[in-house]
Amino acid sequence: MFGALLVAGIVHGLIIGLAALAVTLVFGIARFPNAAAGDTMTAGAYAGLLAHQASGSLALAGGAAVAASGAVSLLGYLLVFRPLARRPVASLLVAAIGVAFVIRAVLGLIFGHQQQVFQVPLAWPIEFMGLRIPPMDLTLAAVAACALAAAFGVLHLTSIGRQMRAVADDPDLARVSGIRPLRVMVALWLLAGAAAGIAGLMLGVKTVVSPEMGWEGLLTAFAAAILGGIGSPAGAVLAGLLLGIAQEVSTPYVGFTYKIALAFVVMLAVLLVRPRGLLGRVEGVR
Amino acid sequence: MSLVVRDITKAWGGFRALDGVSFEMESSGLLGIIGPNGAGKSTLFSVVSGFIAADAGSVALDGTPLDRLGPAARARAGMIRTFQVPREFHHLTVRENLMAAAPGQSGEGLLGLFLRPGRVRAEEDAIRAEADATIDFLRLARVADTPAGRLSGGQKKLVELGRALMAKPRLILLDEPFAGVNPVLIEEIMARIRDLNGRGIGFLVIEHDLDALSRLVPRLVVMDRGRVLATGTPQAVLADAAVREAYLGGAPA
Repeated sequence: MFGALLVAGIVHGLIIGLAALAVTLVFGIARFPNAAAGDTMTAGAYAGLLAHQASGSLALAGGAAVAASGAVSLLGYLLVFRPLARRPVASLLVAAIGVAFVIRAVLGLIFGHQQQVFQVPLAWPIEFMGLRIPPMDLTLAAVAACALAAAFGVLHLTSIGRQMRAVADDPDLARVSGIRPLRVMVALWLLAGAAAGIAGLMLGVKTVVSPEMGWEGLLTAFAAAILGGIGSPAGAVLAGLLLGIAQEVSTPYVGFTYKIALAFVVMLAVLLVRPRGLLGRVEGVR
Repeated sequence: MSLVVRDITKAWGGFRALDGVSFEMESSGLLGIIGPNGAGKSTLFSVVSGFIAADAGSVALDGTPLDRLGPAARARAGMIRTFQVPREFHHLTVRENLMAAAPGQSGEGLLGLFLRPGRVRAEEDAIRAEADATIDFLRLARVADTPAGRLSGGQKKLVELGRALMAKPRLILLDEPFAGVNPVLIEEIMARIRDLNGRGIGFLVIEHDLDALSRLVPRLVVMDRGRVLATGTPQAVLADAAVREAYLGGAPA
């Protein structure tokens, strides 16, 4: 029982982690809480659903989710966040909420508000050390692992990733060093969108696809981003896993209804002991 | 081939921080700027490097007017500055700090990353080799993989110099390179500046440490209250009565 919940928690945690990665990347580099991240996930889930219905291939669904969420994310930047750059954080947050509503409304208009599900074939669980693991969970965990490896590879092994981290550290110094802000921002929003897309696809496969799914998951993603230490990609993933596992494992005790509240209890408890989050940085040293 | 600064004027409200400052230096030379606090040295530096727009006057490097260019464009034109309080990308390692400062990388775009991986890889290798060579030259090899935020003040100044070098400048503006640096590292930094100057890179240096600066540069510009008070060799300038009055408060030698 505990083992099965642990497996479910890891898969759920990877979803939260990917969504939190999208949130924390934007926070670290563009410097505002992107409330549209949840609905960017939803766009990825619908694109994945269409591709899956058309082809039956989960790989194609993943590609479609990444492409759609990347495009939605980039459009949001070019049309809304770029013109508002250097405005107060509150303006950007409200603008992001607006973008979120627009994405949700458009998805609702196109696909309607009834819930849809991925038609995945039933399969016997795999027995592994006494654990019964649904094969789809293994597939999803592998997809998430690949997505995370790709995201961290871009961040730490490429020049654009190095420049993104440089802008996160000191945007003015980055500009003086000849780092071009537009390129960094385009890459950032594509990367954050892609991560959100994979998260949306996974959430859709695990639960149901509806226009509200991403918005409902947004607070948990924010909680994980804060818990991990805002602006820390590795922290976001770690915190996502922690929250996902805590939610699933506690379900038999606190019940399904309260598991979202539990994420916040965990977050508050950790932040009381460690205000900058799990892998957070001390800011404002200078 | 020279840096020509002509009649720079800059007022903050009613206060004239710079009042018709002119000087010239060979772009491969070594020139020091000294002056008491409030003389306008830092403002002059910010104007020359493009961080502050002057009210009047002009700056030209090797015949090219720079007045309409921002700091990044001036860096591309061959002139780059460091900061009095050293700035670094504190979560990036020393090597990454230097690599981030290399100009014109194809891997900057995500598209290039996927469309031309071979070319991006080759460029990345070249930039890494250059960063490592610069790190060796600055004797920072021991801390190459340390996040720059963890270094000492003097080491951070060397990292700044390294980042400036990665841009392949003709002229480097150093803002108080010896401030808050321990004496051993001061000698180290001076030695590196002399090496680089021997290879044809020019330095314009603002410094409070008059003794160190006098040993480093053959020519000094003395500023006071937004004006150039005197120009000449350190010996000549320090013997000047007006300079003694302004800078040393008229104290006898």
